[in-house]
Amino acid sequence: MGQHVTVAVVEDHPVVTEGVASWIRSDPGQRVELVQTARDLTGFQAGAPPSVDVVILDLELSGELVTAQIPGLVASGYRVVAFSGHTDPAIVMETLDDGAHAYVSKDEGRDHLVEAVLAAAADRPYVTRSQARAMLADQRPARPALSQQELQALLLWFQGMSKASVARRMSISENTVRQYISRARAKYAATGRAAASKDALLARAIEDGVIKPGEITPYESFARAPAGQPDVAEKPSLGGPGQ
Amino acid sequence: MTTATRPVTATGPATATGPAAVQPTAVLSNRYQRAFTIAVVFLVAGWHLAGAGGQLLHDRPSYSSFAFQVAMWLIMAVAIAAGSVLALRDASGWRLAWLIALVALAASTAAAAASPAHQMLALNWAWGSAGWTGVLVLLRRRFAELAWFLAALALATLGVQVWDGLHRTDLAGFLALLAWSTGAQVAVAAGVRALNVAADQAAAAARSEHAARERQATAEFIAAARRGRWLALQESAVPLVAELAAGTADPGDAQVRSRCAIQAARLRRLLAEGDEVPGSLVHELHASADVAERRGVAVDIETAGPLPPVPGPARRVITDAAISILTAARSQTRITLAAVAAGIAVSFVADTGTAVALPAGGEGVAIQQQQDGGMLWAEVRWDST
Repeated sequence: MGQHVTVAVVEDHPVVTEGVASWIRSDPGQRVELVQTARDLTGFQAGAPPSVDVVILDLELSGELVTAQIPGLVASGYRVVAFSGHTDPAIVMETLDDGAHAYVSKDEGRDHLVEAVLAAAADRPYVTRSQARAMLADQRPARPALSQQELQALLLWFQGMSKASVARRMSISENTVRQYISRARAKYAATGRAAASKDALLARAIEDGVIKPGEITPYESFARAPAGQPDVAEKPSLGGPGQ
Repeated sequence: MTTATRPVTATGPATATGPAAVQPTAVLSNRYQRAFTIAVVFLVAGWHLAGAGGQLLHDRPSYSSFAFQVAMWLIMAVAIAAGSVLALRDASGWRLAWLIALVALAASTAAAAASPAHQMLALNWAWGSAGWTGVLVLLRRRFAELAWFLAALALATLGVQVWDGLHRTDLAGFLALLAWSTGAQVAVAAGVRALNVAADQAAAAARSEHAARERQATAEFIAAARRGRWLALQESAVPLVAELAAGTADPGDAQVRSRCAIQAARLRRLLAEGDEVPGSLVHELHASADVAERRGVAVDIETAGPLPPVPGPARRVITDAAISILTAARSQTRITLAAVAAGIAVSFVADTGTAVALPAGGEGVAIQQQQDGGMLWAEVRWDST
């Protein structure tokens, strides 16, 4: 990366903004620079941000869900990391479908927010436990088909294991665990509503060798669920817990 | 714990007030009402065939056009047949009922108008049949509707008589017929209504008896469950309390404190097991976590996907594992429940420091654990197959 990643925080509670700023400050590598804070999206856009890479967006501003504004932000060229008190899988899925790069619940902020911002700036997948939970709970007919290994890695990650422990449990390398989880995320980027951020995520995933072009199911509206497509097949079993 | 023997008549407390309890009374009441309907159908059909038909044949030479009278009789027969189907099917719409009633009214009035003047009342077979048709189709509707219909029918017949010329003797005959036929019809309708009320009362009595039986069965079930819990405490908590009281167990001993924490968590779970709430497993896990939380252990419980219901014995194995892990946790435990292919995966990640002795499994439950540094991961899988 070399350069700083510039970030804006859109959050209606100043104390949370302060907390985010302190997490950014305490990053040992000082890899992220906070360049703007705003209480709402109008304030963010009026501030004419000077080249913001990533927007950390609180999903609930002044009591209103702003998920519907995400496609607009993405179309303006911002990468969005949702940072929310909500953990409802339906809201997580909607946020990702709208084109957000990652979803970080407020409980996960300290451990994951800075890393998620850095990953988003590089268009790389970042999957928090709340995101893994939403992917595991996904029951929509047009959900992407995940392999047994991908599902098992997501499940163990959601359960609270470290990536190293997941690797030991599955008798694979930690790198492969990351690969499985990233691939599952990339498959989601290939479904639902079209968005520039999803294209960027996918392109980067192919470039990084996380996913092969052949493994990608083309854009599919969640409203349509054609029978016989691989993405409407039975959710594969997670397999036995042992190896 | 000994398994509570459930009384044969009850399916457990959860279903005591469910549809099964309501159904028999509804069936009973419906059965009575259907019997009354069938009786009225036979009465009306019999009247039209034997009464009206007999009079029609008997007075055959007196009509100006016998063929027209027969046509009206047939129309009335069709109306009665349609009305019978309607009544037996329990159709409640007013349109068809009133259509049939008005056809009968029209046929009756036409038959009366086509009779020779001054002999109309003596030869009239149709008034009675039309009235009975009204009773048949309006039986289950408001009483006022039948009253209006019978009044309209009487007025129409009187109107024909007035048209023909009304003598004092005719008026007397009209009133006699009115009293005889309409009176009988009103009496039958009122009788059926009274019988319906009686049937409802009988059904209500049966229902309350059924409810009483269900309540008793539920009480027995709860008593058996309580007794089972009491027996379980006799085996585990009571000896510990006795040791503490006797001074043979030292509260300063870490092992004794751990035994106390386990027994306290079990007590809470036993209380939670009695609560019939949706998502019993999550509820019982929360109850099991309560003691650990009081100890300052941060417990978070998360679920993923729609969870299948887990039977009681399997839930007990799962919560036993939870209690063991929560008791050993130092500062944090994450409990997750995820829907998997054929069941549920309940996992625990806790800073126990060392491996934890977990129950052996069984009841369709398999348990795995892995220790990484100070962190324990354990997964309890219940398979429905």
